[in-house]
Amino acid sequence: MAYIIEQEVVKYVCTCGLLKPISKLYFCRYCLEVRCGFCVCHEVDSHFCEKCLENMPSAEARLKKNRCGNCLICPSCLLHLSVRAATVGPKNPEDPKATPRKVVYLHCLMCRWSSRDVGIPDQIAATGGWPERENVYNVRLSEIIEWYKSVVLLEKQQKLEKDKKKQRKYMSFTDKTGLTAEMIRKRIGLTEPPNPLLKTKAKPLEGAIAKEDVEELPDNIFTQPIKLNEITTVQQRLLQPEWQPVTVDKLFPIHKHLSVKQSLRCRSCEHNVSKPEFNPNSVRFKIQLFAYYHIPEIRIVTVEPLRAGQPAELLLKFINPTQHQTVVTILDLSSMPELIQDDKCSADTSTDDELKPIEKEPLSLSLTQSASLLHTTLSRQPSFTIKPRQTKQQVGADIEIPAANFVLPPRDDAAEFDDSGENYNFNDDPRLVKWRKSNKAVIKLQITPSTDLNLGDQVVVGFVMQHIYTNTIATSVEKDKEPQKCQHKIRVFLSLGNLLGSSE
Amino acid sequence: MTSRNNIKIIAGAIVCHEAKLRGDVTIGAGTIMHPCAFVNAEAGPIIIGEKCLVEEQSKITHRVPFDRVEQKNVPVLIIGSNNVFEVGCNVEACRIGDNNIFESKCFVGNKVTVTNGCIIGAGCYITEEQVLPENTIIYGENCLQREALCGPGQQTLQMDTLSKMLPNYHRIRKPNLKS
Repeated sequence: MAYIIEQEVVKYVCTCGLLKPISKLYFCRYCLEVRCGFCVCHEVDSHFCEKCLENMPSAEARLKKNRCGNCLICPSCLLHLSVRAATVGPKNPEDPKATPRKVVYLHCLMCRWSSRDVGIPDQIAATGGWPERENVYNVRLSEIIEWYKSVVLLEKQQKLEKDKKKQRKYMSFTDKTGLTAEMIRKRIGLTEPPNPLLKTKAKPLEGAIAKEDVEELPDNIFTQPIKLNEITTVQQRLLQPEWQPVTVDKLFPIHKHLSVKQSLRCRSCEHNVSKPEFNPNSVRFKIQLFAYYHIPEIRIVTVEPLRAGQPAELLLKFINPTQHQTVVTILDLSSMPELIQDDKCSADTSTDDELKPIEKEPLSLSLTQSASLLHTTLSRQPSFTIKPRQTKQQVGADIEIPAANFVLPPRDDAAEFDDSGENYNFNDDPRLVKWRKSNKAVIKLQITPSTDLNLGDQVVVGFVMQHIYTNTIATSVEKDKEPQKCQHKIRVFLSLGNLLGSSE
Repeated sequence: MTSRNNIKIIAGAIVCHEAKLRGDVTIGAGTIMHPCAFVNAEAGPIIIGEKCLVEEQSKITHRVPFDRVEQKNVPVLIIGSNNVFEVGCNVEACRIGDNNIFESKCFVGNKVTVTNGCIIGAGCYITEEQVLPENTIIYGENCLQREALCGPGQQTLQMDTLSKMLPNYHRIRKPNLKS
């Protein structure tokens, strides 16, 4: 898959206007729009340690400062530390019966740092129990946190007082959902019991005092040669902000940071586009609406040498990833105007929602009550929408738009292993379709690099790919309903390579 | 360069027949040389000490730096004892002490002197003229350097197993020198 991830040659334009390779795009089946990591809502599902794969509720994770309690990483090279067993001589070597003791110490397999290097005593049991270091500023830090907590409470209290003066007429959205004890109390006009934290007035903090006279640098700092092996790197220092060790003998193992599983949510219909399974052991997804599974993938097969003003042949391979047959039409970029919505978009989303099914052009009359309409009217109001931005991709070549379209058969996993001759009965235009196999087709396009380009410039062509998307949501809800088909358009930009000099 | 191979294997060394040895190579007792290890003494003799482990695809080359080619006396590449050359390492160092480990796919240039107890990490690339101090560890893609308290442990267990296993499945060169 590296070819998709690393080389950004074929880029699709996301609904938000960003250019992304298909592997980084999502496809929301409910709004039938492409989404990218930038225009979806990121939510943390669960915290876990990627070494011991232990799940942790978010409250506990916060308490542990988002670190795993058991796993340690190497302070020198940031890799996981492993526990290594060793045998040492018995406690009293004079006793002939004494057996050698088994001890464990921490060891990094990458840089060979070991806990013995900094004098951490060996442990007898392999499970945890490594000495923790106390932060010298702990008291001060907790004082500051206390103080800020009380400040926050005070501000909240003041805000409540203010709110009481101007009674609201309507229930807010949050009132309706989160009917807490606090809300009821407010409703019936009871005063809130004073917060216990408020009563005990936090003692005012002593501010940090700036010192005028700083310790002089030792004289030998300019004369002594630096031993690079003994001082720590900036990265090693910043890894332990509480201590910031200067020399390597003060490096101590660090608790591993937790990882999160995150789910992604479409901002306009609030459906998930990606949701991982909760279990940290699993790498699968509950919901994975990746564009790679829904939108035909385009790969560049070959392109003739690109010379300004001279037509060149471009062969593109289209791959249909879905289980449904699709028809791909190549259109000019102008056929899909930029979706730059003005301020009215963010202000008035309901009109926007109503517009969408019309944009999608349902194919048959029976589908006027399209699933997307159904879902958009049912779905909650979008919390926050991102305005699409202008795509600033310059196109450096003209493309001859073929008049014909072509069919891509559904994907069939078994066909990959079927070597028997396949005969297709698609009425392909032989000038357009050059090659076909199962769900793939290679088509030929004529491009002419623009004469405005300089030698060595990157030649980019762009077109709109229109394909028929078969939406399977409606069928899963209502069995008797035909799968809904709609035309989906997406802009695609291809980087073809650099412009060459003339052939003479 | 050298037309004739002059291989001296001291009794106790296990040198597989498929190991490629070029030029004047002396292999000490207890050294294990896997098949497809490549020792190339193109610029002068190589003497490998005792109990070294040279794994498959590792390359030990004696190559004199360009600015020293003109010198009259032929230098000898002396490799100490208990060194481990892991799979795919490429070592051209001009002197190697004892107890060193050259991890997989590392490269050591011909201007580097390796002392004792050094570990050249996997994929590390050192070419600059330098003398690595004792117990130096080079690791990571940026070839960071640190100093260990003590050198790496010996590979006795692995060596014992190999000295039992290798003769069962490979043709072994006959030692031609008594220790």
